[in-house]
Amino acid sequence: MKFLCIACDEPMKLEESTPPADGAGFTATFRCPACGQGVAMLTNPWETEVVGSLGVKLANGRESRCPMGSMIAGSRPAVAADEGVAWTAGALARLERIPEMVRPMAREGIERYAKNAGRGVVDEALLEEARAVFAS
Amino acid sequence: MKGYRDIVGDGGSQIVAQVVAARQSMARALAGVRHLVAIASGKGGVGKSTVTIGLARALAAEGQRVAILDCDLNGPTQAQMAGVREQPWVPGEEGLELPRTADGLGVLSMGSVLGRETALRFDAVSHGDEQVWRGTRELTVLGQLLAGVRWGALDFLLLDLPPGAERTLQVAQLLGPRAAFVLVTVPSAVAREVVARSLDALAGDGEGAAPAGRVLGYVENMAGYWCRDCGAVRPLFPATEAPLPVPLLASIPFDPALAAACDGGSPPVADSPASDALRTAARQLLATLETPS
Repeated sequence: MKFLCIACDEPMKLEESTPPADGAGFTATFRCPACGQGVAMLTNPWETEVVGSLGVKLANGRESRCPMGSMIAGSRPAVAADEGVAWTAGALARLERIPEMVRPMAREGIERYAKNAGRGVVDEALLEEARAVFAS
Repeated sequence: MKGYRDIVGDGGSQIVAQVVAARQSMARALAGVRHLVAIASGKGGVGKSTVTIGLARALAAEGQRVAILDCDLNGPTQAQMAGVREQPWVPGEEGLELPRTADGLGVLSMGSVLGRETALRFDAVSHGDEQVWRGTRELTVLGQLLAGVRWGALDFLLLDLPPGAERTLQVAQLLGPRAAFVLVTVPSAVAREVVARSLDALAGDGEGAAPAGRVLGYVENMAGYWCRDCGAVRPLFPATEAPLPVPLLASIPFDPALAAACDGGSPPVADSPASDALRTAARQLLATLETPS
């Protein structure tokens, strides 16, 4: 979707956007760089979801409509994550390198594995150990 | 006044660029996969998942490196069939590590991370209106799974598709021209009609559009009931239907032992007509894909 200033025949530029909140759409304001005329695009929840369903970040990248992340928030997992398991910086860095959508699932499964192994900390060694057991 | 294509860029939202980047990321993740084969039908209940895991094991027995992506997000079955239910997904140095079964197959299935009786739910600002966006979001999830896993070097990545002729077409377009298709049917008029529609959908619209997917052939599943006691194969359906206009890769008789093996997440019995048929289908597939065109 693009916005054109009719008077100037110039494409408007995105100025500001507001992430979608529960029950509402997302808002974006555009302004003509030539004459300064502004316009606000107010999307309804359907429109917001349709665009967000593409897996893109809305509102200048501030709001991810990651489909899997939001899915996990609304679904009961196979086994609840353990809140008492800590992650080292190195292990967290690995978690951050996998797609956002699978992080909650990966985190939950690894914490369960750590707990079953009697370990209170997830570090890179434990991830390698899990990889050797489950993924190679 | 300028038109849409006269304006370079999208005013700052970068939505198109993000979608393009996601597709490129998927292509990079699949670069080491030699053959991308979707097991589809259009019809539900014909045994796509059983054929998928059976084909995967038969291909592996032929020395192929094989993985499965369970594309049925709402009704995932591969985790159970492959014996990887509740097996954790491990973050590696270069992405999500591909979960493996005890016998070495790679299997990524939502059934590993969702509860046994848990429906797939999405959070949304458009509560109660999932008909508007849910289909698109599920396809996006599929694309992200394809892009987010370290598939590594594989000979075959088999994609176990959900039912629905429209879903078959949508996944074909998501995967692009690299993907080939194997259709699964049962010898009933109802199933044949639905599968024929999927075949037609994949063939393109006949008005210049390229085919959405290359169909390698079809597997006729539940082609009779194999009695272990007397060894006879008796018909399950009243009449033989006309074959589909693509190669028949194999006819697999219904075998309760194969069904039990799938439910139990264990390999099927090696010496049965069903196993023989799956082996035939795997060899046909190899012959088709490995023969220079």
